[in-house]
Amino acid sequence: MSTKHSIAAAKFAANKEQATWHNETLWMVRAKRDRLSKEIPEWEQLRDLACNIKLYSNSHLEQLLQEFEKNATANGAIVHWAKDAKEHNEIVLGILRDHEVKHFVKSKSMLAEECDLNPFLIEKGIEVVETDLGERILQLMDIPPSHIVLPAIHIKRQQVGELFEEKLGTEKGNSDPTYLTRAARKHLRDKFLNAEAAMTGANFAVASTGDIVVCTNEGNADMGTSCPKIHIAIMGMEKIVPDQEALGVFTRLLARSATGQPVTSYTSHYRKPREGGEFHIIIVDNGRSQILGKPEHIKTLNCIRCGACMNTCPVYRRSGGYSYTYFIPGPIGINLGMLYSAEKYFDNLSACSLCLSCSHVCPAKVDLGEQIYRWRQEMDKIGKASKEKKMMSGGMKFLMERPKLFNSALWMSPVVNILPRFLKYNGLNEWGKGRELPEFAKESFNEMWKKNKVK
Amino acid sequence: MTSKEWILDSIRQHTQTKYDKPELSVDAITYNDKQAKFCDILQQVGGEFYVLKENEDLNKVILELNPDAKRIGSTLSYITCNTYNPDELENSTELSGTDLGIVEGVFGVAENGAVWMDQNVKHKALYFISEKLIIVLDKNKIVNNMHEAYRQMEIGKYGFGVFISGPSKTADIEQALVIGAHGPKGLMVILK
Amino acid sequence: MMKIGLFIPCYINAIYPQVGVASYRLLKSLGLEVDYPLDQTCCGQPMANGGFEGEAVNLAKRFDELFKEYDYIVGPSASCVAFVKENHSGILAKEHHECTSSGKIYDICEFIHDVVKPAKLNAKFPHKVSIHNSCHGVRELYLSSSSEMNVPYYSKLRDLLSLVEGVEIFEPQKVDECCGFGGMFAIEEPEISVCMGQDKVKDHMETGAEYITGADSSCLMHMEGVIKRNKLPIKTIHIVEILAAQL
Repeated sequence: MSTKHSIAAAKFAANKEQATWHNETLWMVRAKRDRLSKEIPEWEQLRDLACNIKLYSNSHLEQLLQEFEKNATANGAIVHWAKDAKEHNEIVLGILRDHEVKHFVKSKSMLAEECDLNPFLIEKGIEVVETDLGERILQLMDIPPSHIVLPAIHIKRQQVGELFEEKLGTEKGNSDPTYLTRAARKHLRDKFLNAEAAMTGANFAVASTGDIVVCTNEGNADMGTSCPKIHIAIMGMEKIVPDQEALGVFTRLLARSATGQPVTSYTSHYRKPREGGEFHIIIVDNGRSQILGKPEHIKTLNCIRCGACMNTCPVYRRSGGYSYTYFIPGPIGINLGMLYSAEKYFDNLSACSLCLSCSHVCPAKVDLGEQIYRWRQEMDKIGKASKEKKMMSGGMKFLMERPKLFNSALWMSPVVNILPRFLKYNGLNEWGKGRELPEFAKESFNEMWKKNKVK
Repeated sequence: MTSKEWILDSIRQHTQTKYDKPELSVDAITYNDKQAKFCDILQQVGGEFYVLKENEDLNKVILELNPDAKRIGSTLSYITCNTYNPDELENSTELSGTDLGIVEGVFGVAENGAVWMDQNVKHKALYFISEKLIIVLDKNKIVNNMHEAYRQMEIGKYGFGVFISGPSKTADIEQALVIGAHGPKGLMVILK
Repeated sequence: MMKIGLFIPCYINAIYPQVGVASYRLLKSLGLEVDYPLDQTCCGQPMANGGFEGEAVNLAKRFDELFKEYDYIVGPSASCVAFVKENHSGILAKEHHECTSSGKIYDICEFIHDVVKPAKLNAKFPHKVSIHNSCHGVRELYLSSSSEMNVPYYSKLRDLLSLVEGVEIFEPQKVDECCGFGGMFAIEEPEISVCMGQDKVKDHMETGAEYITGADSSCLMHMEGVIKRNKLPIKTIHIVEILAAQL
């Protein structure tokens, strides 16, 4: 009873060295997060506040988005609204064409990934350069990110060395991260200086001031928006927060949760266009308004895209981002995928042991694990429940509802203990892949009690 | 129907429970010695600090600490060690090749070593394009945490502001920390 | 005198009856009136976690019936108790039934620690043990502080073990990382489940402990499977067997 995830995960886990490195490296990021969160005595209070601010904001989107638009427009920004990915891409293209942009630089944006923006623009003859180091590496390798904050976590330095040797002309055999980063700096500095427009995502959008807030470490978002004069900022609707005060809560939680830093190197507030330039803000729906209508899943809109759930998830750490069928992996990816299209992305539901570590690490208190449990209950209704699981559940129900039958089964079960190995351990026995079966007791507790043997 | 109308309508149709706005009162962390905490965290995140003494000459100190800097940019009236004034340049791209940028911060944040910069130079590129950045900061203007920071943070005529905490950095290659990505490779806060 | 109904989960009934016996003895030794309603089967968790909550309705109803006379329901399985406590009322509410069990059910460790509060136990177990903090025990029953949260450290299992003479208590480095059992997860994603089990056993072994102990035989069964397959030098034992070691 495999799923697309279980098959891909098995392949990833089979490469013991890679899987162990991936697991331990991501655990280290979780450990860094723990150290920093424990330095803030009011950490749990902040989580409660973050959750409540988001619940408020996302239940007052009509009011807050309009307040944002009013203030941003008064600041000189041009605000656009995109119903879906297609419209978003067309708006971006429109802006770039209006200004005859041929060289476009981007900082990290999961929203742009969601809308599949890059291939769309490249096909129209625009050079799109990812400027975040991890994203640029992946762009040059022509592969997608495997983590929303540490996109190239699955790539080894030797691979980057070989890639840069080929594409950037670096020294053969040199895979020192500092050397390679300096080479990327030089290469991308050129791109910044010659670009005609830049795109950023938005970590937060402040309704009361019209600010777009972007949190980065590399300085690429700011280099991009400081050189060319056209800035396009794209935001999912749920990025809205009511006021500056709310940012006090989120900026204290975000970097500590994401990378174990007190704050990112840059927390940039874009309010007005640059002199002689233009500042475009695109507000994107693409299914988010529909999520509002699902009270059991509404907390997914609290997500501040920190990636802490991935770092803590014992399944993600051992299976890697590519084993998930949705472009965002891990606990939040499982949930977002199901909201986007349950029929398409249900395979990811198997990627969870319901340990609930994700729900406890989430700075915005998204009930990730609990939602996965609820999604599993929906599977049968949409005809996607695993046939084998359904049969097993039905079988268990049959057995467990008949105490006499159950007791007889217990009475007979010790026979399994002495079956020959080839009958017990074969391709049909998933448990046996790496584990011995438990031994059935000669006398069940129930029998012992009946025989007055429990004293 | 415009897309805006469509979206607002969809929001209206789907929104169910309307949650109240929470009271934003936090018993946030405070420090007995904000300056010490600020400097400690700044160092931890790869930055440097220098506390200017009473009789020390700021410009002399800057030159002593940066003997190899050839192209030094600053718009500050009290900086005389600069080789050019970025405000006199037409395009931000002309700032490329600045070894040292010297700018002024508004206030610092103890909990994370950040300095709030309310853009007061013509080209904000100066904060990011310099190989090394020096931020001059009044040592009495350090707040405890981001709640205090956001209560007083303002953005002026240029319409841009940024909290800068240490130099630019990345760990995108195998989680190995590299100081200096696309922004400055070094950052020093001079407290006066 | 409070009437206690002993809840014996299906796999303890079938595979680890000695855990049930130890539970009975332990509660009796504390002067409690303990009874076992006959012919218990299952709480329904395996079906529900697999996505078939509906299959557990009759089991939830029967559970309420079996235990309706008791003041407390006590069972040696944090995971099963958590399921009854957290999920039965929701499952029954969908059938317009009020759940009578969820308000009075306790894991045995929780019960002894929070309700009985014995000053001492007549127990001796001169061995090194590593505490296995099972996920549902930690994050649903709050048997110990979860490592994710910034709350002061506490561990009810450690508190109880401290009453046992001679025992040396350890905890693994990744103090509450999942062992990989997860019910149907163990056979739906067997490679990841086994990998998690192997890593968890290794973590426990690195403490130098002779035994892995915890409040959930399901986790212990999964780790035992890994231990036996790889012939590893560590054993598993349910915590009540340690607490009832002299009885």
